Amino acid sequence: MKVQTARKRLLIWGVLTLLLCLFPAFVSSQYLLRVAALIVFWIGMAGCWNLMSGYTGYVDFGPVAYFGIGSYAAALVMTEGGRSFFLALPVAGCTAALVAFLIGMPTLRLKGAYFAIATFAFAETMKQITLEFDRTFGISFFQGSHGITLPIAPYGNAFFLYCALAVASLVLLAHHWIENSRFGYALKAIHEAEDTAELSGVNTFGVKLTAYAMSAFFLGVFGGIEAYWITYITPADVFSVHKTVQMVIMTLLGGMGTFLGPIVGAVFLTGVSEILGLTFVEYYLILVGMIIVGVILLLPRGIVGTWKERKRLRSL
Amino acid sequence: MDVLFVQALINGLLLGGVYAAYSAGFSLIFGVMGVLNLAHGELVMLGAFIAYGLFELVRLDPYLSIPIAAVSLFLGGYAIQKFIINRVIEQPHLMSYILTFGLHLILANTAVKLWTHDFRTITTSYSGMNAAFWGLNIPYARLITFFLAVAVVIFLWLFLNRSETGRAIRATAQDKYAARLMGVNVREIYALTFGLGAAVTGMAGASLSPFTIIFPEMGLGYTVVAFCVVVLGGMGYMQGALYGGFALGVVQSLTAAYLSAGISVAVTFLLLFVMLVLRPTGLTGKGIAG
Repeated sequence: MKVQTARKRLLIWGVLTLLLCLFPAFVSSQYLLRVAALIVFWIGMAGCWNLMSGYTGYVDFGPVAYFGIGSYAAALVMTEGGRSFFLALPVAGCTAALVAFLIGMPTLRLKGAYFAIATFAFAETMKQITLEFDRTFGISFFQGSHGITLPIAPYGNAFFLYCALAVASLVLLAHHWIENSRFGYALKAIHEAEDTAELSGVNTFGVKLTAYAMSAFFLGVFGGIEAYWITYITPADVFSVHKTVQMVIMTLLGGMGTFLGPIVGAVFLTGVSEILGLTFVEYYLILVGMIIVGVILLLPRGIVGTWKERKRLRSL
Repeated sequence: MDVLFVQALINGLLLGGVYAAYSAGFSLIFGVMGVLNLAHGELVMLGAFIAYGLFELVRLDPYLSIPIAAVSLFLGGYAIQKFIINRVIEQPHLMSYILTFGLHLILANTAVKLWTHDFRTITTSYSGMNAAFWGLNIPYARLITFFLAVAVVIFLWLFLNRSETGRAIRATAQDKYAARLMGVNVREIYALTFGLGAAVTGMAGASLSPFTIIFPEMGLGYTVVAFCVVVLGGMGYMQGALYGGFALGVVQSLTAAYLSAGISVAVTFLLLFVMLVLRPTGLTGKGIAG
């Protein structure tokens, strides 16, 4: 039954992808295309956080570091290197994964709140370094708070919808793999009882590091995509703590450590913020805060988790 | 030793005392309940706004509004813990992190609605006055706040170690199951602890109001500094807040004096990161291990 439902879910995502691919052919509104691309983009981003933190229970408060590193890597490859976007993307992903590997080595030995604070500190360090590097060393590389302007893309929102779809699909494939492999069992075992897992011969550190670097790779690629989409990046934007918060809240809202969690959470929150953000601009952040508190108090397992629990109880 | 160095050192120590005062509550809350209070900076903000409001309304000296800030924040903190955080306290700690982040958004943005984005300052008769000697300058307000801050940390330490309630709080932090068996009402102690932490933080907020820019979104920066101070000093170790505060204040002030103010923020985070990786129990090694 397990394998079947997993296959069914992939099939559903496949159909959705196909529909979204046809979306630009039927919908001419640039606004709707942009919202669709944004939703898919956030499904992928929340999925990245879920890959590492959702399954292992290690709360990463600095995933935006890898997003920002990807943005800057892609921007530098395209401006300083003069190379194309399609070369910049893999470079962005690999740079982020490499940094994640080096940073993960010491930080993944920490637990609980210490891991959360260390990752947060790393993301803020990266922001401050890109902000102050040029001024401190008297060179022109990251451009400090002026930011970097990228070449303007000759494509519209449809192109970025396809980009986001491709990467988000890869992230979801990784979820599928995690749900059905020894690697996934190892990740979940870390969540349940890390010491016991280690005693049973699971290389917990290696597994954590792999998941961390994998999540960083995809985040880096997303960073590259957004840089090209927005065409202008600054440290305050790409390393913004609000991006981290979005990823965490979407995953939590949907359900941590589940395949559908990030999808449900991203669709819900992006939808809500498009509606609330337009009609209640001034109260938007207060409302988001209330949604967070409400979800934690009323639906602590998230939408998907609560639904699953109900179904299980009914079948008893 | 040149004057610049001594001046930077003094500035760092004065700054560090303030850091210690508003980080002690953070450390207490984490040490007893394992709650990483991401709305901590908002408590500083509320304390500062209480002092500002009273100064504007009735010209009350900001230092005299400290008791009022303490009482109001104690009541607020007590209620937040009792009615909101206590409901998720038995669940994985992540829940409380996210919950307090939600509270941060609500508090900071409601404050923006009420008081706008404007920057405010309190100008008292002694604002900008310095004790000047040997080429050094020590602002009076900062000096008063420094001594108050140290007194607050000592008061907190005394309360925890000398009073019956303090004993119950320490017992709950050590082993909540054993404490419950000994007749301690753990949930009530949690509410008192959060109230106490909030009160101390509000006092710090009011006492730094005479020389700080006050605005609704000031909180997050204070939360981040509190992280750093508490990690340096050792999580959940009260006197650690003093050591951590002084260490961070001096490092920041020296880097600002010799390198640049911008880099001093980067150094803060780098220090936090390196410290966590190499010595998560703090400089003294007496903090709670990860």
